[in-house]
Amino acid sequence: MTGESLLTPEVEAAAIALASLPAMGPRRLRDLVFEWDPEEAWSRVRQGRAVPSLGAEGRAEGRRCGWEQGRGASAAELSALWQDASRGINSQAQWEVTRAAGVGVSIIGMPGYPPLLAGDHQAPAVLFHRGNLATLNARRVAIVGTRRCTHYGLDVARELGRDLARAGVAVVSGLALGIDGAAHRGALEADRTGSVVAVVAGGLDIVYPRAHRALWSAVAANGVMLSEAPLGTPPERWRFPVRNRLIAAAAEVVVVVESHDKGGSHYTVVAAEERALTVMAVPGSVRSPASAYTNGLIADGCAPARDATDVLVALGLSTGTSEPATAEPSNASTVTPTKSAGTSEPVTSSTPGAASDAAPPRGLDVSPDGSGSSVQTSAGNAPGRAPLSMLEATVLDALGWEPASLEQVVTRVGLGPLEVGLALAHIERDGWAVSSGGWWRRTRR
Amino acid sequence: MIATIPSAALLGVDGRPVAVEVHVTDGFPGYTVVGSPDDVCRESRDRVRAALTSSGFKWPLKRITVNLAPGGVRKGGPGLDLAIAVGLLVANGDVVAEAVEGLGFLGELGLDGALRPFPGVVPMVAAMAERRIVVPVESHAEAAIVGRHEVLVAARLNELVECLKGEAPWPDPPLPPEPGPLPPEPDLAEVSGQPVGRFALEIAAAGGHHLLLSGPPGSGKTMLARRLPGLLPDLTGDDAIDATRIRSAAGLTPPGGGLVVRPPLRAPHHGATNVALIGGGTAWMRPGEVSLSHGGVLFLDEMAEFSTSVLDGLRQPLEEGVVRVCRARHSVSYPARFLLVGATNPCPCGEGGPRGSCRCSEAARARYHRRLSGPLLDRFDLRVHVSRPEVGELLSGARGEPTSVVAERVARVRTLATERGVATNAAIPASRLDELAPLEPAALRLLEFGLRAGTLSARGYHRLRRVARTIADLAGAGHVVGEDHVGLALSLRADIVSTSSMAA
Repeated sequence: MTGESLLTPEVEAAAIALASLPAMGPRRLRDLVFEWDPEEAWSRVRQGRAVPSLGAEGRAEGRRCGWEQGRGASAAELSALWQDASRGINSQAQWEVTRAAGVGVSIIGMPGYPPLLAGDHQAPAVLFHRGNLATLNARRVAIVGTRRCTHYGLDVARELGRDLARAGVAVVSGLALGIDGAAHRGALEADRTGSVVAVVAGGLDIVYPRAHRALWSAVAANGVMLSEAPLGTPPERWRFPVRNRLIAAAAEVVVVVESHDKGGSHYTVVAAEERALTVMAVPGSVRSPASAYTNGLIADGCAPARDATDVLVALGLSTGTSEPATAEPSNASTVTPTKSAGTSEPVTSSTPGAASDAAPPRGLDVSPDGSGSSVQTSAGNAPGRAPLSMLEATVLDALGWEPASLEQVVTRVGLGPLEVGLALAHIERDGWAVSSGGWWRRTRR
Repeated sequence: MIATIPSAALLGVDGRPVAVEVHVTDGFPGYTVVGSPDDVCRESRDRVRAALTSSGFKWPLKRITVNLAPGGVRKGGPGLDLAIAVGLLVANGDVVAEAVEGLGFLGELGLDGALRPFPGVVPMVAAMAERRIVVPVESHAEAAIVGRHEVLVAARLNELVECLKGEAPWPDPPLPPEPGPLPPEPDLAEVSGQPVGRFALEIAAAGGHHLLLSGPPGSGKTMLARRLPGLLPDLTGDDAIDATRIRSAAGLTPPGGGLVVRPPLRAPHHGATNVALIGGGTAWMRPGEVSLSHGGVLFLDEMAEFSTSVLDGLRQPLEEGVVRVCRARHSVSYPARFLLVGATNPCPCGEGGPRGSCRCSEAARARYHRRLSGPLLDRFDLRVHVSRPEVGELLSGARGEPTSVVAERVARVRTLATERGVATNAAIPASRLDELAPLEPAALRLLEFGLRAGTLSARGYHRLRRVARTIADLAGAGHVVGEDHVGLALSLRADIVSTSSMAA
């Protein structure tokens, strides 16, 4: 609940009503609210006298956003459209529904509007929120990416979300399938209130996607949810670029985890650059189409985000000096052949011998509960794992970090399916790899 | 006068004996057929009349009633023409009743009086109790397969009457046609690379395990599937007879006209209807694809394109080896024990691969896979990914093992199974698994892991043990199933549907 509002019900009701008019995009709404205060604007709309000066830009914006009714409409047409629609809107009832749902309304220029967004050149005129607006006072990092992500992307997004949240940072994202959801799940794992900021395209009561129903409630309970759309608005296509802009506006650093060459993350990156925010990208396999855009960002000069430390450095919360990086990957690739193979050992490992979790992995400097080292200890559970045999080591090496099918492994290793099949079964049982859908991949856990 | 002529009708894949009674009496000229004939049977009047007159006999201008007994069973098909014609001749006095005593008659009549072949010879002949049967010349080979009867042939109606009267000797039965060279079965050596796919094929053939191949277009799924029947041994005994009966009932003459010996391969198009697949169409309940592949392989290419109801209809035959079709008037059961091979793309766009690597969203993939229901997928013991062969492999021309070599290993394992007292390893009942496929302790531990992780259901556990038994047999291991066999069986049972939810 947002608690007591600083605005009168009439003002809020008017603002909600304005925001629910058809062909009312962010630009037009802003024009209206700047021209008159919400109550007057609303009464003018009902009288058919709310004709904001729509210059050529306004119409162009309308076309770009693809509004069905407002496409290239003349001022008179728009005015008539709004007046017509206003008759069907019961602003009082809408306001009551909104309050009852625990959703707060903030209007630009009026008390209660988050100061963070007030200075933005595309600040939403009317902002709906649920949860604790004060979450926006923390340090904020946006973690965004594609819905069509890989397991690698999911893992990295979740870990970033978790580690950043543990470091006291609020994670901003869009609650979409894939990277967004993973980032928020990770942030919630950190078990600290005020660690998530979710920005959604539709109304705060329309759970989209449906698979994220539980995540919605969890996010609203932990941090804050924002939207420019009134309750009951479906998440129409054109609202997503708007939402991505808001994500950028709400963040200090934007991290793109995975994105294909064409994707919604582009909007977010462009919006971030317009606001002179730092954009970081997580490197990925050059063979993975899901990392095409992110690798491209790095090539164009964005800083790579390998883990939460990189992001914290960008935020200025860490100096980045910690244990040498070699300690971390060795957890995964260190194997102990049962035969002392000596130089013929097929698997490269930087620290032969039992995988050590003695040297804490490259962790976080800033962790409120000092649990930074637990970030990656799950990989350092070597004491519980049986050492790998020669064959298993070979197979594990051939597996690589990208998912591989049984056939690919058999071809790479050059042995029969019987031996490879057994080795894979052992590796999976011992936790070195995990399989899903017929694809095996190495895992750190 | 009444004449009673024994004949038979087809229902499903079984013949039913029919007694054709012809009653000719004074009265207003007319012809009536009773006894639940179908349309084709009703048309027999015109055929018989024309045949009779073409053969030089007079059509009696009397009241004619033909009864196909038993009356309540629906009779279909043209095979009763001959019996009706002969009955008419006897009832009319053209042939004496003693001449046809102890003889059964089966055949379709042409308008010129010629005897024509008809579908369903084998089951219909098998249903007849009479020791001597008259069939058209072309049907002799099929009729002789049953073995219990003396088969007499005739080419034309007037010749038949002469033989019946004793005026001419019965014609010699035709020589069995030279079994022409069977079309060459595709050879496994033509498949380049695909080590896992080939091995899975071998296991499927050796143990009778159902196989699902998943892969992008061009990965050789169809090629592999079509080479599976070649690995299976010849059909023998009851299986061969059943397969022959079914083919005959469907109106498909076995190649070479004799007993069906090579396991059949049926590959219905994914537009096939329920009835086409399961059977029961037409009045005489034609057998469906699952029965036509009895003893052989049923290959469903593009499995996800089949309608869900059609795929669900497969569950009964897969489970029980028979399919029961019930209609308002009767129910029929057909044998349907086959090896199921499915081919599917991993996702709608076809490229597949692990998540995030192709154009499809997770939602699209999930929708695509929902068509392959869980219970159906569970019945595939082997679920294998195949990928496109490497360019080098394709061009190198190196050939893998030919069918003959692999078939030998398959035959060996099948013999082992029969020695154990089961038809195939896949048929080992769960209660006898411990006795016939004991696990070494390490193997058991490996399975425990799967059971605890929840990736293996109880049914999956049993199926896995059977596959492991076959792998052990192929490897020449002894009675005890080892850890490596179980390990490979686990790896070959990939979940085609990615079970990871959209959540991280």
